[in-house]
This record gives sequence, structure tokens and C-alpha cells, in this order.
Amino acid sequence: MKKFSGSFAVTALVAAMSVSGVAQAGVTDKDILQDQMTVEDVVSNGLGPRGQRYSPLDMINTDTVEDMRPVWSFSFGGEKQRGQESQPMVKDGVMYVTASYSRVFAIDTNTGDELWEYNARLPDGIMPCCDVINRGVALYGDLVIFGTLDAKLVALDAKTGKVKWKKKVADYKEGYSITAAPLVVDGKIITGVSGGEFGIVGKVEAYDAKTGKVLWSRPTVEGHMGYIWKDGKKVENGISGGKPGQTWPGDLWKSGGAATWLGGTYDPDTNLLFFGTGNPAPWNSHMRPGDNLFSSSRLAIDPDTGKIVWHFQTTPHDGWDYDGVNELISFDYKEGGKTVKAAATADRNGYMYVLNRTNGDFIRGFPFVDEITWAKGLDKNGRPLYNDEIRPGNPSASEDGKKGSVVRAVPSFLGGKNWMPMGFSQDTGLFYVPSNEWAMDIWNEPTAYKKGAAYLGAGFTITPLHDSHIGVLRAMDPKTGKEVWRYQNYAPLWGGVLATAGNLVFIGTPEGYLKGFDAKTGELKYQFNTGSGIVGSPITWKQDGEQYLSVLSGWGGAVPLWGGEVAKRVKHLNQGGSVWTFKLPKS
Amino acid sequence: MRFLIAILVLALSWVGTAQARYYDDVIASGVITIGAYKDFPPYSFEQDGVASGVDIEIGRRIAQELGVTMQVHWITPDENLEDDLRNNVWKGHYLDKDTDNPLAMKHLADVMMRVPYDREYSFKRDSLGLLINEHVVLFGPYQREKWQVAFDSKKLDRVGTVAVFQYHPIGVEIDSLPDFYMTSAFAGRMRKNTRHYPNVHQAFLAMTKGKVDAVMGMRAEVDWLLSEAENSQYQLAENGFPMMGKQQWDIGMAVKQTYRELSHAVEGVVDQLVTSGEMDKIYTSYGLRYELPGLYQEIE
Repeated sequence: MKKFSGSFAVTALVAAMSVSGVAQAGVTDKDILQDQMTVEDVVSNGLGPRGQRYSPLDMINTDTVEDMRPVWSFSFGGEKQRGQESQPMVKDGVMYVTASYSRVFAIDTNTGDELWEYNARLPDGIMPCCDVINRGVALYGDLVIFGTLDAKLVALDAKTGKVKWKKKVADYKEGYSITAAPLVVDGKIITGVSGGEFGIVGKVEAYDAKTGKVLWSRPTVEGHMGYIWKDGKKVENGISGGKPGQTWPGDLWKSGGAATWLGGTYDPDTNLLFFGTGNPAPWNSHMRPGDNLFSSSRLAIDPDTGKIVWHFQTTPHDGWDYDGVNELISFDYKEGGKTVKAAATADRNGYMYVLNRTNGDFIRGFPFVDEITWAKGLDKNGRPLYNDEIRPGNPSASEDGKKGSVVRAVPSFLGGKNWMPMGFSQDTGLFYVPSNEWAMDIWNEPTAYKKGAAYLGAGFTITPLHDSHIGVLRAMDPKTGKEVWRYQNYAPLWGGVLATAGNLVFIGTPEGYLKGFDAKTGELKYQFNTGSGIVGSPITWKQDGEQYLSVLSGWGGAVPLWGGEVAKRVKHLNQGGSVWTFKLPKS
Repeated sequence: MRFLIAILVLALSWVGTAQARYYDDVIASGVITIGAYKDFPPYSFEQDGVASGVDIEIGRRIAQELGVTMQVHWITPDENLEDDLRNNVWKGHYLDKDTDNPLAMKHLADVMMRVPYDREYSFKRDSLGLLINEHVVLFGPYQREKWQVAFDSKKLDRVGTVAVFQYHPIGVEIDSLPDFYMTSAFAGRMRKNTRHYPNVHQAFLAMTKGKVDAVMGMRAEVDWLLSEAENSQYQLAENGFPMMGKQQWDIGMAVKQTYRELSHAVEGVVDQLVTSGEMDKIYTSYGLRYELPGLYQEIE
């Protein structure tokens, strides 16, 4: 009898499991963890939670790519264009993609037909800092989840586009917004926040993907209390960095910045979230002596508890707006017969770092741009050796009302690399880094006003280093720091990379081209002009036995917002807003 | 049905007045749109649902003299004045889009108030030698503004110099000139005692709760907070601000460059208010001290 009931229980359990499997029918945690190797869908930002942007598909390869043709193009339509920085997702024949102005579209991947569209109603008077872009959705179960310019998370029904839940992550009136694609780890939606110089404090938060209930909140500035919700109750979960006032003067930690505006990656091996943090506030470093933790850093966070496990600060006491948000991509490599659990990141400050991802230890660092002036190099712990004369001036030095001295810093604050994600090929072992070569002149500007009051602004202008190019796509060897090949582009690169087992690396350019390169040699194998600049990240997947590739076209983002010499190179570029999808012709 | 028509008329008239315009268009429409910062007492704010403040009052007088009615265009401040001029006077904000009526004009102010009147600023050039503010005319100075400290007399006998803030906490608005000054002047000796608040009003509230011993803000803001508090415990300081670049500046208005004629008409009205002493009365009615802008001080 006992035996019977036992086997009955097992049978019931199996039945229950299969039922729940059917009922879900959507994206599972397993789907997300295995996204990189399951080529029939793309259900995570970065083609897998590590964000390597590598696909094992090889039907489109260096031999066949020249025949690749567009199969459909989908227009976002309307008057709303501007930058299209999204990475599409694909599941069961449907593409889910965000567009500028907090819009989401579901598109039939066979025909390019629109299935539904969601238009977030944005409040009057919001002031997002850097264009009205969005970088993509997260998929979980039957939900499509994304962040809005007024700092909300919105979960839509994947079938209908109707709102299932909506959650305020931060107050847009205080200057917060969300532009990054959320991350899904073990049923949790993990998001950061964006924000300008209004005195915000960055944070990483986890929400229950199904219900939208907040689970934990981790501030990214030293001194702020973290919280975790247990049985619906908000419980203190330790102060970030232990206590306030260690690396900040006065009460500036209360408004320290360090926005987590680019989202993060996740490494299942170590069970760690990796989030980058933005520059410290205020912009002028002379007002805040100290390292200003955890600004311009990479943070490893426990996804279950929201605790900071380790941090690595790329630009302590950041005075150049170098941020530190760039994606940290986990990868393994062999050295002396041993596997090194590493992670790499290419920083706005011009250095690329290889870290031990289990503890944040610095393994090596090297420049990935031609010129760096603000630092002489990195010490054995990866801390920069500053060039003190390249630190932008002290505001008290211009209190006589005159323009402060001009400092020329390389890279410019738009960075050796900005938001655009790099890729890692498991075949070549190389990172493909979209970078830019530009300098900035920066000075204290006393002839400035803000809200009817005299103000001390920072005047700056960005200048290209070369007449021939700003953008450089580089193949970098993380073991040696050597550049293996490069492709130079006239306009700055602002879109993400895709690497494939077809020995190809794809990237879009502001001039509108989707370009494909030989991953080993850098030889240009393919290009197609999409009609507007590309600032999004390409994806590839397999459908009905064929390999597809998609990318967004639509010029915008932060580059056209700045004037000066760089504007001359991009002002002729036309706006747009569309998805282009390609495949090989059927033989 | 009547209700529907009423809404339709309203909607039409709204579109009709939704852009910055030529003088003749303003007069013909019977409405002038005055741009003023939102929630910014004592300059422009809503009190019991009614637009109030000195800038609103001046806007009302402008409308009255031109024989039109005033409509307020509330401005959410961006990071600096260039942004505000672009978003509200000459181009419009990129988020100002009407999905149902994509051809609708952007919402702009015919005249924007509280725009600093500074020749150096007006003719500032960028790194290529081009005028930065070529799309707007900055005109009609109507007030001189400066910095002011108020203090809690239970904590401090007097504030003769800013040196006392090496020892006493002071509240400032975040990312403002007082913030720069208090955290960086004199090698940062006042830095540890500088407390940051979203605005001067919040800093003043902190003083009334005993969290800071003083606040620093614009003179009119501080005057207003003191007159609202009606408590002699809080007093005006007499200190100067050594080594500070911009101790005082003049406030005027802005119109789009192509609507110069409108600026002449508005300038005429405001000049009359200043010279007749009416402007002084407007400021006094809000409990504020009034100082003539530099242009008029030189004439006197």
C-alpha cells in the first residue's frame, strides 16, 4: 500500500510538472540560462545571461554571407523616431522589440507583420538625460517586460500586448528613468536606473517577474541602506559599503550618483550579477575628494540576497565623467593547463580589464584605444596612475569669474567605448570591441545659468583624434592585450556586436551599414545599407532550418546631442526607425 | 453635444496658441503665452490653483498692456539655460509630441521670464566660433538678483563672514552655485558642513527643524521664505562671498529671434513698470526687496 501511494505521488508529480510546463508555454529560467546554445530563440539580452553576444550558428559564414538578403523590414512608424538602441528578442515565431519613446512591438518573424504595439503614456515634463532610447525587453513566462523613460517596469501579455503589471522603480520627478533591458535570473527581474545630475542615487533592484513585487533593493553609493522584502515586509539588509563617509566628504554621498543605467549581466557559474555604475555626482571632482565608492565601478551582487560580493573600481574619484557602466562579460580561458574563470570589460576610460570573476581580483588591464592622456597606466591592482594635470579644473580656481584653464583629456567623456556592447567569440577567443577615438577640451564655465541663477557649468567640446575616422572595431586578445585586427569607421560607432560560429562578426554603423567581418582577419565580407544609422545590436536565430539575422536601424542616441567637430561628421545622417531581417536565399 | 463642441473649440484654440508667434499673431489671437518656471516661489508657482509669483504678475501686466489675456506655459527646468531656451522658446522639447495630432505645433512660450540678461552670455560662441544663443533675443532686464544667507539666531549670533560655516552646518540647493561655493571655496574648508537639499525651500525647512544653522540661496527666495516663516528667530546675514565669480546678475526675458517686434512691445511695458516704481511694488507685495537691474542703476 505504501509502495502504491509512493508511486502514485511520483506519477502525480510528473503530471503536475508536465501540466505546469504546458501552462507556462513561455520562456523559462532554463530557456534563459541555455539561450546561447539554443539557437531557435533569443530570450536574453546579449544572447545568454553572460552577454557574450555569440551564436553557434554557422549557416551564414564567411563563404555564404555575400548572398545574405533582407527578407523583411518593419517600420516603427509615427512621428517618433530618434535613436533605436534596442536588441530584439525572438520566441516561437514572434519578435519582441522596443523602440524610442518607450514603445514595444511584437512582430511575426515570418512575414514582418505587426501583431501588437504598446505605447507607454509618458507624463508631461519628464527630462531624460540622453535621448529617448530603450535597449530592449526581457521575456519571462508569457510576459514581455521593459523599463520606461518615467522609471517604471511594465509587464505586457506576450500574446496581446496588454498590461499585466506595472511597477514604479523610481520617481521620474527626481530625475530617474530606465533605458536598459531588464535581466531575468531565477524568476526575478533585475533592473538598474538611469538619471542625470539631479542628485540621484543609483541602485539595483529585483522584482518577482510574475507579480512585479519588489524583492530586494541595493543602493550603489556607500552609506545607503539596502532592503530585502521577507513575507511582504521590508527588512534592513545592510548598508552598502558598511557605513557612510569613508570615501565621500560631507553629505555628498546622499546624492552620489553612480547610476546603473546600462543594466547588467549574470554568470550562472558563480551565481553572480555584474552591474556597472555611473559617474559620481557632482561632476566636479574637486568638490568630493576621495574614491567615491561605488561610482565608476563593477559590482558583483548576489541575486538571492542583493548583497555586494565584490567591487572593482575602474576610475576612482572620476573627474572626467568616464562612468563605469560597461558590461562585464564572463568567459573562461586556459592558462598553464588551468581554466581561469575570468570576466572582461572595456571601460569608457580607455582601458580594458580582465578580472577574476569569482572575487573581482585584477588579472590584467590594457588600453584598447590609441591614446590615453588622463592616466599614465595601471598599477598592479588595476588602479589608474593619474596624470594630475589632465584632471579638469577646480571650480574655486575660476571664482574670479573667468573661464578656467582648458584641459585636453583623451578619451572624451563619451568614452573609448560607450554603451554599445562588445562580443566574445568562443571560437577565436577574442573580444570584438566597438570603440571611438576622440578627445575633449573641458573647462570651468562661469558664464552659465541654471533656473534663473548664476551657475558654474563645465564647458566642453569633443574633437576627433583623426581626420579619417572616429570609430574603430577592434579584435582584442584578452590574454595578451594585443589588438589582432581593426576596422576604422568615419563616424563614431554606437551599435553592439554579434559574433557567430560562422567566423563572422557583425556590427552596424551610423552611416547605415550592417557590416560583417571575418572574425579571424577582420576582412570585410558583407555590407548592406539599412537607410538610417544603426545604433542597435544585431541578433541571429534559426527558424524552419534557416539562419536569420535582425538589426534595428534608426540613428540617434547621445552622439547627435553634442555639437562641435563631431557634429560635422554625423549631422547629415537621417533619422529612422525600423527592423531589418536577413537570411540566405533558399537554394 | 454642446459639451463636445465646447471641447472641440477649446482644443482648436489651444492648437492656435501653441507656438511662439509674431507680434501681430499674438495680438490677433487675444492671448499671450508667458513662460515661467514651475513650482519656483516667489517667482512663479501655483497657489490654490492660481498662478502666482512676481514673474506671473509681470506677465499679467504685459498681457494687460497689450490688450490680451495671459496663458502660462509652465517650464520644467532642464540642466541649464540653453536647454530651457531650446525646449521652451525656439525649438520645443523632443518629448512634446501629440500622437493623435502629429502635425500639431510644439508648446512654446511667446515670452519666457527670468532669463538672465548678460551680454557676455548672449554673445557666447562655441568652439567653432558660432553664436550659441543665436535663436533667441535676450532683452528687457527687470531685476537684479544676488546671493543671500539666512540663519537661525538661536544657533548663531550673526554671520559676518562665511568662515563660520567651517563650524556650523549650512543648507544649499544641490548642483547650484552655493553648492559649488560652499564645497570648494577656501580649499573646501566649509565642505564638511555643507548639507544638500533638492531646493532652497527644503533647506529652509531643515533649518526650522534644527538640522542646519543657515541656508544660502537667491535673495528673493530667502526673502520669501523669511516672510512666509514670520519668525524673527530666522534672520538675514550680512556676510559677503569673497572669491565668488558671479555675485550678482540681472534678470530679463527671452523671445525667439524671429519675433523681435514682440520683444520691443514687451520691453516697452516692462520698462514702464520699472521706471514708474510699479515693479518695486510687485516685489514688495510678495515680501521681497527689489533692486534695479544694472542698466537702470547706471541711468539713475
